[in-house]
Amino acid sequence: MKHIKASVILGTIVLLQAAALRAGNVREELGDSKYKLVHESYANNNWELFVTSADGKSSVNLTNTPGVNELYPQASPDGAKICFLIDNGTGRATIRSLWVMNFDGTGRKKVTDRARQQCWAPDSQTIAFLPQEYSKFNVTDYYTKGISFHHLPSGNTREHVNTKLLHHLYNISYAPNGKWIVATVHAGMGYRHTNLLIEANGNKVINLGIDGCRPTFSPDGKHIAWGAGDHELAVVPIDIESDNPKLGKKFFQVFDKQNKIYHVDWSPDGRFLSLSRGPNGKGDITKPGTYEAACEIVGVHAKGWDIFAVKVARGSSVTIGHKPVYDWQPLTRNGYSNKESDWFLPPSK
Amino acid sequence: MTHRWLKGALGLLALGLAEGCGPAPASQAKPQSVTTASGVPMIVVPTGLFQMGSDDYEADEGPQHEVRISSFLMDQFEVTHDLFVKAQLPNPSRWQDDIRKPVERVRWREAKLYCNERSLMEGLTPCYDEAKPGWPCDFAANGYRLPTEAEWEYAARAGTGRLYSFGAPAKLKANGWFADNAGQRTHVVGTRRPNAWGLHDLYGNVSEWCQDVYEPDYYKRSPAADPLGPAGGAGDTRRVMKGGSWKASASMCRASFRKGQRTGDTDACFFTDFCGFRCVRRVTPADVLSLLAKAASEK
Repeated sequence: MKHIKASVILGTIVLLQAAALRAGNVREELGDSKYKLVHESYANNNWELFVTSADGKSSVNLTNTPGVNELYPQASPDGAKICFLIDNGTGRATIRSLWVMNFDGTGRKKVTDRARQQCWAPDSQTIAFLPQEYSKFNVTDYYTKGISFHHLPSGNTREHVNTKLLHHLYNISYAPNGKWIVATVHAGMGYRHTNLLIEANGNKVINLGIDGCRPTFSPDGKHIAWGAGDHELAVVPIDIESDNPKLGKKFFQVFDKQNKIYHVDWSPDGRFLSLSRGPNGKGDITKPGTYEAACEIVGVHAKGWDIFAVKVARGSSVTIGHKPVYDWQPLTRNGYSNKESDWFLPPSK
Repeated sequence: MTHRWLKGALGLLALGLAEGCGPAPASQAKPQSVTTASGVPMIVVPTGLFQMGSDDYEADEGPQHEVRISSFLMDQFEVTHDLFVKAQLPNPSRWQDDIRKPVERVRWREAKLYCNERSLMEGLTPCYDEAKPGWPCDFAANGYRLPTEAEWEYAARAGTGRLYSFGAPAKLKANGWFADNAGQRTHVVGTRRPNAWGLHDLYGNVSEWCQDVYEPDYYKRSPAADPLGPAGGAGDTRRVMKGGSWKASASMCRASFRKGQRTGDTDACFFTDFCGFRCVRRVTPADVLSLLAKAASEK
């Protein structure tokens, strides 16, 4: 009888492990991919942009510019270019400017000053960005007024048709059909704090009615992932072809009970999410080129923060830091303020 | 015209503005109002002695103890939306329907940043060193800073020994916006009666950040003259918040009430919609004479 019980237990364990392996080991699955992640990292007393392989096995300092603080990289949908920010100066005299370069770090070019929170339009030729609210610098994420668009081939910059009403937005993300921009608003446009769908070329603004921040569209436009709280990321379905898109029920969640988890981003195939994870804090202002504010804010030193990947699975959740470890994977491990990752597939040569 | 400001200045000196003078008499004369270089009305709070805290309420309010406060300038009103954005700071407030309302949802760091910006606008030396962790305060600088909790309570009591300077708590509705009369929102500053020294909204509208680290038993060992609060605080320690607010009960509006409030400095979003502030700055008799002379010449 004892042998039978032991066999049943053993068999159950084997079956569960097999099921887990069928669900996929994140590291193994990403090891087969050609995806890269570009992210900011505080290395050698300044901010640099690193490109890390999707399985985290290799990482290269893309910028390698001592004394120049590069931040908040965003890869174009075609993987050919990366737009990013540079902070120059100290305190409120800092000038935060928007730059663009090729995915391999060549061809750096300034787009404009006093801009932040940029994202790419689906055409991979237009960068949407948020102009700074006032001329003096402030590290606050929602320190913005309006939305502008810069078209790289022509060099022209235009304002959103509704720009005068767009106030205190942050973390904009373009829908792949080009119709909508999703963003968080704080203390602006008549809202206390919420996430909005903004018509990219019109006046419509839709309150998605979800708490949290930093929403981002999946590559197919069928889902939004966002930070539902300091310790939760969530995914919901959305119909962006509708004139009045509505969100469905939560589809997938990521939790971390101890550390903060922020800056969610989708892999190009929509199967994985990356995120920044680290302890609560307000930065270390003795580090050059950094500011004193919450660690998740752009430009704030975040000791112990690393990039992680998780696999998206409908109707399930992942708790980082807990077993089973096959459904989450650290991609960086040095804790050097690794934040704001963005996936891309480099163009084939 | 010259006589008027000179008379005011002499009155201030009589109230104990000059260092070394004795305690202020209980609201016998109204301290002078001055307008700063950036156009902000402030009250010259005289040097004086008062009984700080209370032995009759929460444990952290005791023991009641005598404190001597050196004269200082205090904003007549809470910092409003229009003042905050004039300093090129993003307005974090929940209610944005009137620029004359007090800012709220303000982190402790943002309140200090405003103080520094206003100092720079007026050619004064900022009190907070933004390059050092925790932004330490130089109390000797002539710029703006947050009040110590002793300064705040001294100003709220306005020369009276009472927990509500105007008398019985039943009179609170005429003297402050709190839970029973605010309608669950902030109000334009200065729309309730001022206290005896001309200061508005200390008993309501928004609660106000103070400079001090919050420590429940600090009164057992605090210095008798110009206490600055417990040492330390570069980390995310709780800071003292004083005064009632639109969501506070009448009891929480009493002058001795103190709350240890998280600064919000480690939060990307700060939703505490009753946190506001006002500024103070150190002042000398010469400063006051200069400000009064300027005010007289502008009239």
